[in-house]
Amino acid sequence: MGPKGVKWTIGVSSSLDEVMASLAGEREIYALQDTKNGHYQFSKSTTWQPGLHTLGDYRQTEPLKALFFPAREFIGKWKEPSSREPMPERIVFGVKNCDLSSLAIFDQVFLHGICPDPYYAEARQKTLLVSTDCNSQLDVCFCPAVGEQPYATEGFDINIALTPLGYVIESGTDAGEKLLESAQQHLEPANADLLKSLQTQRAGRYRELVELSQAHGLEPGTDYRTAIEASFDSGLWSDFAEDCVECGACNFICCTCHCFLLADGTDREGTAARTKLWDACLYSGFAATAGGGNPRPLRADRLRNRFDKKFSYFPQVMDRYACDGCGRCTEACIANIDIRDVLRRAVDECDALHAHSSDHRAN
Amino acid sequence: MSATLYMPIPAIIERIEDETPDIKTFTIRPVEPIPFAAGQFVELAVPGIGEAPFTPSSSPKISDFMEITIMRTGRVTDWLHTMQEGDEVGVRGPMGRAYPIEDFHDREILIVGGGCGVGPLRSLMLALLEDLHHYARIIVRYGARTPDSIVFKDAQLHGWGQGDALDVMLTVDEGAPGWDGHVGLITEILEKDYLDCHASDGIAVMCGPPVMMKFGTDKLLERGYRPENIYLSMERNMSCGVGQCGHCRLGRYYVCKDGPVFSYAEVQSNPRLWDD
Repeated sequence: MGPKGVKWTIGVSSSLDEVMASLAGEREIYALQDTKNGHYQFSKSTTWQPGLHTLGDYRQTEPLKALFFPAREFIGKWKEPSSREPMPERIVFGVKNCDLSSLAIFDQVFLHGICPDPYYAEARQKTLLVSTDCNSQLDVCFCPAVGEQPYATEGFDINIALTPLGYVIESGTDAGEKLLESAQQHLEPANADLLKSLQTQRAGRYRELVELSQAHGLEPGTDYRTAIEASFDSGLWSDFAEDCVECGACNFICCTCHCFLLADGTDREGTAARTKLWDACLYSGFAATAGGGNPRPLRADRLRNRFDKKFSYFPQVMDRYACDGCGRCTEACIANIDIRDVLRRAVDECDALHAHSSDHRAN
Repeated sequence: MSATLYMPIPAIIERIEDETPDIKTFTIRPVEPIPFAAGQFVELAVPGIGEAPFTPSSSPKISDFMEITIMRTGRVTDWLHTMQEGDEVGVRGPMGRAYPIEDFHDREILIVGGGCGVGPLRSLMLALLEDLHHYARIIVRYGARTPDSIVFKDAQLHGWGQGDALDVMLTVDEGAPGWDGHVGLITEILEKDYLDCHASDGIAVMCGPPVMMKFGTDKLLERGYRPENIYLSMERNMSCGVGQCGHCRLGRYYVCKDGPVFSYAEVQSNPRLWDD
């Protein structure tokens, strides 16, 4: 293959299915499957299945985190060192940038903290990520409003973009570069027209998503941290909490929510064992201490905490929001709480406060 | 600690001592020594039942066993209080940030304890007493609900009062026949009449129920202690203990890894610091 950074396309006598099969090799495959109701879901397989598997036009319903941070993970039995099978080599096809970007949060928590999680580290190490540009979007999408874009610029092993003139394929890591060699016979360098087509397409998709965000009152570059921090005493939290039923769906479906519970119990033989489970900060007992203390007794407190964590805590510790604009929380909320409405109200109130204090200074 | 990131190592309960009707001190011997510094905590597990964070009350100079003073106040502590000497528990740790006792050298140290909060403070006291000459003066002010609920009443606390180096005073919220000590809230014995201190450059260390720490902190600030010299043991729901599970977040900190010991200066901007 050529030097890293070269962009490829699929040769005239080859097909995407052939490229996918070559890339997959013997790995365990996670690819997208069209559910025919406007959504995609992950399909786990040992081979790329033409007709069933697709790269998808936008993100799948379940968050990518589930492949690295399982909803339920057996930790071990009491006094029996874990005898977990090594994880197989895996490849994920069709990852969208919102999900890809969310892994930065998980890397921060589970790899770069004071005690790396060996299972997360193994999953990251053994999983190749093949990302794809978004070619459409869902009504709930708002990635430009939180500083993201509908295509990957980093974090992928291989990126595959479909343009009107054909595919553009590039590697983003050494592992990705090596993997592309296995599909070499199906690839040829992408020409200038193709690359131009990619640029035009990306700009167009980005613009559409900006317009969609603006239709919900959100602009790229908005300072949500200031707005959320200023909203502490706002009535907005109790207003939205009136509808919230604290089901935790927004937490579980979120591509960045990482909180978990260590659950102790006994197996059928009566041996004590421990399991790691996803937890939700919307649940009333999440922060409760022994003896009945609770730093967040009200649902409004817990709703505010969720936004505080995403838009104040993470900017403070790693200079990014823990929100990539995937819109899954909006989609999942049975009370129809739209994250964009919450953010917009916090921003509007903060702006109003600012205008008000400026008036005072002027007087 | 990565081998036991989420799984405790076994420990035997060697001794259980009743402190008060609802507080017991457990001496546990883990299969491997757990060296800790005063103020750090461990996660103590009842196998198959659950796990909770506790700060040892024994000397940090000893690592092959530790004493943990536990009030019966929830699911895990209810279980612990039914356990017997010889039973097995699990322990993970140590975790978190200890008292910065190097910074305490040559300073006057005021230790303020409330109820079961005196457990972690006993560990600190034992560390300080080992090197008494390092510190200008040590003052202890301890409040309990009733004479019955005073922890360590027979041995350690009275021992702390012996000699001129230590200035120890106790108070109870409600007196009882036979009690000839002070009756009143802990904040009362932090007043001038009962506490002669060099507040402007003194260190104050406080551990107790949130409401006691709230009013205690206010009183110390009023007496002239500086926010950066007031050390608090914050209580939150520490679970994983390594800054991952999210339960114990306090503003920009996780209490499990950035605490549990914080200076008031570090946490005072938190709008809901004491609400629990």
